[in-house]
Amino acid sequence: MAFKRNAKGAGKPARKKRAFTRKKVCRFCSDDSLTIDYKETRTLKNFVTEHGKIIPRRIYGNCAKHQRQMAEAIKRARQIALLPYSGDTNF
Amino acid sequence: MRRYETIVILKPSLGEAENQAIIDRATGTIEEFAGSIVKIDKWGLRKTAYPIMKETQGYYVYIQYAGQPAAVDEMERVFRIDDKVMKYLTVKLQDVFTALPEDEAAKKAESDAAATPEKVEEKAAEATESEEKTEA
Repeated sequence: MAFKRNAKGAGKPARKKRAFTRKKVCRFCSDDSLTIDYKETRTLKNFVTEHGKIIPRRIYGNCAKHQRQMAEAIKRARQIALLPYSGDTNF
Repeated sequence: MRRYETIVILKPSLGEAENQAIIDRATGTIEEFAGSIVKIDKWGLRKTAYPIMKETQGYYVYIQYAGQPAAVDEMERVFRIDDKVMKYLTVKLQDVFTALPEDEAAKKAESDAAATPEKVEEKAAEATESEEKTEA
């Protein structure tokens, strides 16, 4: 019987590799006591990287509405030097 | 009448009197245009996230008020001329000024402070507790 040279894995359907992930829920929707305010840098810092970039919502599962509010709050905080445009957030 | 809030960053090298003079001038402008101050909060010296006018620190002042758009224009015009003011940011909170429950609470706390200082301390302790809870 002749072997096909590149028969490795042939015949098996290509399966998407994905680790088990739990459905993320927007934490601002599930908890009313959390508010988005550009003056509260402690909350905002959770949603920027250590270099100050806004973290995309696919990471923390914010809903579109709250991600929008969050992004605006971060941008306002940057204007008034509460958060950096770029650089260390723990200044 | 609209509800606004303004944050002003003053140069760190100024004295208390100079800071107060700038704040008084801003509040004076607001009142000139028939507005009223809701809250003034001096956050004090803070490190800025990036250098502004070669300063890495700034004296933050927070003012919340009811006022006309013209008052904001005038106040910001003065801020831009004054080189003791490093930066400012005004945000509109309400299109039509309506009293919020927290305004009442702030006023009540003030009058309570005048009457019974002990009670307020308790309240303050409770407030910090609840804040911690929300962070967790």
